[in-house]
Amino acid sequence: MDKTDKRIIRVLIIFSMLFISLVVYLSYFEVFQASKIVTNHYNKRQWVNEEHVLRGIIADRNGKTLAYSEKTQDGQVRYYPFGNLYSHIIGYSLKEYGKSGLEASYNKELLNIDQNPIAEITQKITGPKEKGNNLILTIDHDLQKDAQKHLNGKKGAIILMNPKDGEIYAMVSNPDFDPSTIKDHWAEITENQNSPLINRATMGLYAPGSVFKIITATAALENDISKNFECRGSINIDGYVLRDYKENVHGKIDLKEAMRVSCNVAFARMGLELGEEILQKTCEKYMFNKKIPFDLKTKNSIFPKQMLTKPELGATAIGQGKILVTPLNMVMSASAIANDGKMMKPYLVKEILSSDGRTIKNFRPQILGSVTDEWTSEKIKDMMINVVDRGTGKKSKIRNIKVAGKTGTAENESQKEHAWFVGFAPADDPKVCVVIVLENIGLTGGSSAAPIARDLMIAALNKLK
Amino acid sequence: MLRKLLSYKTPQNLILLIDIMALCLLYFYKESFDEFILISGIFLTFIIYISNFILLRTSSGDHYIFLIMTMLISIGIIMIYRINPFYGFRQITWFGVGITTFFLFYAVIKKIKKWEDWTKTYMILSFILFLSTLVFGVKIKGATNWIKVGNIGFQPAELIKIIFIFFLASYYSKKEKIMNTYGLIGIVYTYIGFLFIQRDLGTAMIFYFIFMTIFYIFENNRKLIYYNIIGAFFIALVSYFVVNHVQIRVVTWLDPWKYIDNKGYQITQSLFAIASGGFFGTGIGLGYPEFIPEVHNDFIFSAICEEMGIFGGIGVIMLFLILVYRGFKIALYQQNLFFKIVAIGMTTLLGLQAFIIIGGVIKMIPLTGVTLPFVSYGGSSLISSFAALGILQVASEEMDPSQEEDNG
Repeated sequence: MDKTDKRIIRVLIIFSMLFISLVVYLSYFEVFQASKIVTNHYNKRQWVNEEHVLRGIIADRNGKTLAYSEKTQDGQVRYYPFGNLYSHIIGYSLKEYGKSGLEASYNKELLNIDQNPIAEITQKITGPKEKGNNLILTIDHDLQKDAQKHLNGKKGAIILMNPKDGEIYAMVSNPDFDPSTIKDHWAEITENQNSPLINRATMGLYAPGSVFKIITATAALENDISKNFECRGSINIDGYVLRDYKENVHGKIDLKEAMRVSCNVAFARMGLELGEEILQKTCEKYMFNKKIPFDLKTKNSIFPKQMLTKPELGATAIGQGKILVTPLNMVMSASAIANDGKMMKPYLVKEILSSDGRTIKNFRPQILGSVTDEWTSEKIKDMMINVVDRGTGKKSKIRNIKVAGKTGTAENESQKEHAWFVGFAPADDPKVCVVIVLENIGLTGGSSAAPIARDLMIAALNKLK
Repeated sequence: MLRKLLSYKTPQNLILLIDIMALCLLYFYKESFDEFILISGIFLTFIIYISNFILLRTSSGDHYIFLIMTMLISIGIIMIYRINPFYGFRQITWFGVGITTFFLFYAVIKKIKKWEDWTKTYMILSFILFLSTLVFGVKIKGATNWIKVGNIGFQPAELIKIIFIFFLASYYSKKEKIMNTYGLIGIVYTYIGFLFIQRDLGTAMIFYFIFMTIFYIFENNRKLIYYNIIGAFFIALVSYFVVNHVQIRVVTWLDPWKYIDNKGYQITQSLFAIASGGFFGTGIGLGYPEFIPEVHNDFIFSAICEEMGIFGGIGVIMLFLILVYRGFKIALYQQNLFFKIVAIGMTTLLGLQAFIIIGGVIKMIPLTGVTLPFVSYGGSSLISSFAALGILQVASEEMDPSQEEDNG
């Protein structure tokens, strides 16, 4: 074989390698990149079905329409009659910027796109369906309105939930936005420092402050360390001083009394005695560091995973330091106490109906897990009743109805504290559980959050009778 | 005879089977009866059958390259028909014109001897065509590489490609060179310069690589090869900083997502199409390749990937690989030096063009607008691909190797 032919073969080998590299790259692209790319908002394929299918209606538990679509000459328009009220529950659905809230998580249902491949093929042959499915929510429109009213002008979140089955009656987060006009204010809303797009109820991570004492108390009761504690208004842990509110001296107090006055010193001592491992285990039963299954995007509450120093452990036991919770997680925790220690899976969508009113799917209550035994939860409930009767939560007291609750005033990086309240009523047969967080309000939970909780619980009990 | 004609084992029958199945699918996709599909289908199968029949009778050379072309153009027609039935029908007409070109070039190239003697003619003809493009050129899609004669536009560069290969082949097949290697390099770079002025970067790349391939195989001064590579690298670097056009191609290759609503739009739409297809595709008529601008032209490969899947795309790549393999095999067996070089040139032309555009639309290399040979919709480039194949067909036949000696 002469020189020329050898070179020709070399060129042929290079060509073969080039073509094979195309095959390899194409396969690599399909396996590793394709799935990430197809969901890009600029991929119009995602919107093709939506042009044909009239997006379903979203209604509250009593059938009040909260979102609907109407056909126009060139497609359809989505209407949100209550503007900002459902910005974080229903969200928005835009061709340009995508979707959020239930519009995103129930997109397939709202468009009636079948998920099983065989039905998908028949659908492709028979042509797309004309109308999407409707969603019936667990939300009560009146309670949602009330909750929004109470949060007006404040940053924070409120959730009302049925502690026994996990139905969410109301969920608001402020600041919010109007999904019907968000398109025109997109840049303004996305660049807003207060992040109105974030659903603080499920994704806001706050220092819990004293509402966390419910969890510390659970650990203390389970591990039988509920003896008396000495409180001199402050405690020095390895040179780090933890103070009580206004450095009140509580003297020798038991767990119930410590809970009533929300004594930081007593709970910090408890935390030190329990140790990090037990506290973390209890927290994880309460779903800390775990993904809460929910209809909307959630963030995990955080119990710090690294080794804590003693001062850090003391701070953690009173809900300060590196511990962070979401309001959703907190309302679930209080609900678990109301529900004999069984934590219910929270849910927003009650039912999926076809456009002609047939039930396609009914969502049933589900138990997520047990946070503690019945005896312990009963004990904590008693303490929480005591808090409302004679302690920091007095302002949530309702005449003729026993209320259980816990207040919190959480210090954070800013100068102004977050105000917390979690509680439920009626305490002997809980019908509604509520959580309130007022971000950086600079007031105590007992003075600012508790009265809101009282009003909302009254409204809920009247409404749900 | 008849039995052989109907046997499913003959390759053209397999191609026919695929065409019939695809056209049936298109028929169902369109739902209402479309007589256009029927006419197109009959017309298409007729051309495939007759041309394969004639070729088997007339050419003693390679029969596979023609079959590969038939398969490629079938895939192209199915895809174009699905995107736009009007274009699809026109593409069948283009196919007819292409086959005619194929046989025309085949006959003319075979009949006339002494192609290797006209080095100067090729050179002058190329210059005239380049200059006329500069003077009469019409700007279409950012490149000034079209000449309009009445209503019909054509790209002179497509014709120059073939003349260029003849030029190189005649230069290297003659013992007495009309100029030294430096003169040759000077002329090649002038051509590439012309293409740069026309902003036809894809064709410029093809010219350069055809030259480098032939240069690598036949040049005795080996050092010059390295100098050329360094020179090309230098030109590429300078043009990146000086020519805005080149810069855009590179930045949209590195990160098209950043420019998704402007200069990166085409390539990202192409990636969406390929990504949505998966391995087996959505099925013909069930995807949305029409979302990609210019899909029937440069981006036809993305449409194939969306509706026929990555496996369909790999099939097309493999067809080109076999075509290139057959082309180089022809070159290896050819004893006539001129046609040996021509075979290498034509194979490089077709193979490289396929690599550049497929690599471009899948974002493996920067995108340069060239068509996918035999698959993209019509025009000068399709005709020149047919011409190239016709010439390759001549080169695949046994020839008298002693022509050179006779002349000398």
